[in-house]
Amino acid sequence: METIQFKTNINCSNCVAKVSPFLNQEDSIDNWKVDTNNPDKILTVEGEELDAEAVIQTVEKAGFKAELQ
Amino acid sequence: METLETPTESLRIPVTGMSCAACAQSVETILTKQPGVENTTVNFADESARIVFNPQQTSLEKLQKAVQGIGYGLIIDAENAQEKQAEYKENRLKILQSNLIWSALLTIPVVGLGMVWMDWPPANYLMWGLSTPVLFWFGRKFFVNAVKQARFGQTSMDTLVAMSTGIAYAFSVFNTLYPEFWHQRGLHPHVYFEAAAVVVTFILLGKWLEERAKSNTSSAIKKLMGLQPQTVIRIENGEEVQVPLAEVGVGDRLLVRPGDKIPVDGQVKSGHSYVDESMISGEPIPVEKTKGTKVFAGTVNQQGSFHFIAQKVGSDTLLAQIIRQVQEAQGSKAPIQRLVDKIAGIFVPVVLGIAVLTFLVWWLIGGENALTYALLNAVTVLVIACPCALGLATPTAIMVGVGKGAENGILIKDAESLERAYRMDTLILDKTGTITEGKPSVTDSQWNDEAWKPVLLGLESQSTHPLAQAIVQALKAEKVKPAAVPALENVPGKGIRGQVEGVVFRAGSPRWMEEEGVVLDHWPVEQWQNQARTVIVLAREQEVLAVLAINDPIKAHSKEAITQLRKQGVQVLMLTGDNAQTAAQVASEVGVTEFRAEVLPGDKAEVVKAYQSQGKVVAMVGDGINDSQALAQADVSIAMGHGSDVAMDVAKMTLISGDLLQLPKALRISRLTVHAIRQNLFWAFIYNIIGIPIAAGVLYPLNGFLLNPMIAGAAMALSSVSVVMNSLRLKYRRV
Repeated sequence: METIQFKTNINCSNCVAKVSPFLNQEDSIDNWKVDTNNPDKILTVEGEELDAEAVIQTVEKAGFKAELQ
Repeated sequence: METLETPTESLRIPVTGMSCAACAQSVETILTKQPGVENTTVNFADESARIVFNPQQTSLEKLQKAVQGIGYGLIIDAENAQEKQAEYKENRLKILQSNLIWSALLTIPVVGLGMVWMDWPPANYLMWGLSTPVLFWFGRKFFVNAVKQARFGQTSMDTLVAMSTGIAYAFSVFNTLYPEFWHQRGLHPHVYFEAAAVVVTFILLGKWLEERAKSNTSSAIKKLMGLQPQTVIRIENGEEVQVPLAEVGVGDRLLVRPGDKIPVDGQVKSGHSYVDESMISGEPIPVEKTKGTKVFAGTVNQQGSFHFIAQKVGSDTLLAQIIRQVQEAQGSKAPIQRLVDKIAGIFVPVVLGIAVLTFLVWWLIGGENALTYALLNAVTVLVIACPCALGLATPTAIMVGVGKGAENGILIKDAESLERAYRMDTLILDKTGTITEGKPSVTDSQWNDEAWKPVLLGLESQSTHPLAQAIVQALKAEKVKPAAVPALENVPGKGIRGQVEGVVFRAGSPRWMEEEGVVLDHWPVEQWQNQARTVIVLAREQEVLAVLAINDPIKAHSKEAITQLRKQGVQVLMLTGDNAQTAAQVASEVGVTEFRAEVLPGDKAEVVKAYQSQGKVVAMVGDGINDSQALAQADVSIAMGHGSDVAMDVAKMTLISGDLLQLPKALRISRLTVHAIRQNLFWAFIYNIIGIPIAAGVLYPLNGFLLNPMIAGAAMALSSVSVVMNSLRLKYRRV
């Protein structure tokens, strides 16, 4: 299991709700969590064969921004 | 060309207040007469109307008013229609029960007075007093409905009950007040209060039993509806939160713990468990669930726990679709029902005619007590001739049959196919996905040089054929990277061809290779084909580079199912687009003696037609888009549940688990249902055929026998009860 962290603009629980279906459905992601208390809104993603680029694209599909930390 | 289409809506709306099949007929007539209504079928057994109407010309409110005008109701509140109808039914059962108890309590002394103390001077007045509330309070519905319908020139069983008890009552009142009228003529003024009261009580008893039994026939649906849990654990930002089912949306990640019911349809994300899917597929063995497998609402998780992603929620879930289809099927009319409806429609007027005739004949030739006999016998005819049982005969059996199917994982879309399956004598099975799993995989391969793997992957990854997909999967699993193969050409039914720098590569069937002059000696082609495997050859010009064996395993129960079907007297035929050797091998393994290999999709429908033209009733079983034409052509069309949605849409029956053993079961359910309908019709008619002439007094000249109106009331109640009981018997039959 590998873990990647991203800086995002996923601000609040509403944004989390919005991004949830996209991240949930991404096959390579086993688990994810956004720390909305952190000023950098860190998205932590766990999975077997994670592709950082794919995760960023998924977040963008949901209408948010993400970059590798 | 463009045509202007007016949009029509088709809705299933609960109807309240119907007491018999003739009522359903009345509601149907009044709805059909409304402007803007195109088509209506009213089902008495599940108390609903399927209305096809143009919303621009009419509204549900208008339709409701029209129906209310003749004494019934429509529940047009779409949101809570189910609960409202259930509430209404429960209420009605309670009212019916208390009416029954009270009228029985009042009727018992009336009978005592009428039988034993009839010569006691105040007896007549007491009976009058006791029977009045029985008729006009506890039995008031019969009179109210009869009057309402009479205003529209319609009749129903309420008409029969109201007329018979009303006449008996009026006659008795007259005799109580003016006994001298008879005394002057040297006759005894009989009163029949007890007959009127007993008839009402018995009919209430019959209604009550019928009502209870009817709520039993639809229990399959209730069982299905109770399968979804009310609250769900959703993973929100990595945390478990309990939310109501209604809040779950597509894409939500949900947790299922051991023993939980699965709330919506979706795909497993993480975890591992076994799920009991028997409630929707009829398959008793729990199904393994790991990442990527689908789960369905209403099924029950066993020991493990897992996360899954919601894909279909609310009315889109398979369970919701099943419930809807079962409801629709239960409400649909079998062809035999149309005949019964016609009979029910003319039945009441005919009975009224017979009653009048009975009255006249007895009055004219009845001798001493002519008028009394005339009245009593006319009343008895009216009482015994209720068409209730007739109206219940088909719908109750269909409801139980369709429900029975649903419990066994057989989704029946309409009553017509349930009735037709009974006559089915030829069964056509598609091979792939029906007899076999439909999941081909590469089992063996032999390579000249493994360096050609990228070329094969390059060729096959550009084809959508299921066999090509099997090869692609196998090679991808070996982490082979595809080579670029330009100038690609698909040769339908044979394979695929590509050119790299002027050199021709082919991947396809051995027969095609031989046609192209490729020599296949020393390769295990025949050996694999004799093991029922499909062989794919890769060649460069005339040189063989590799052969691969692809196997689509036969389903565990295919052979047993086919054996059972043949025992049931069904001719079984297998169709496949696959090669003859593989087809022959599969056919012999599952015990099919007749098969057609290398059949193109369009030809499948032709095969069905050919058998139909021989006068056979043909059932077609298939799972794919390529079967849909043949499914539509067949008399009975059956889709495999794990197949394509198109096939399931076209087919009138679906075997949800895709297990062929459901097929003989479906056939048995159809047979049992049709038998039950026939028995029901027999019971319904026999009471009337024997009862009406006896009631009219045909036996009197022979042995002086006259049917007592009370006995007639009991017999009538019994006929409805026996019909419903007979249908319910079906529920407890093993299939």
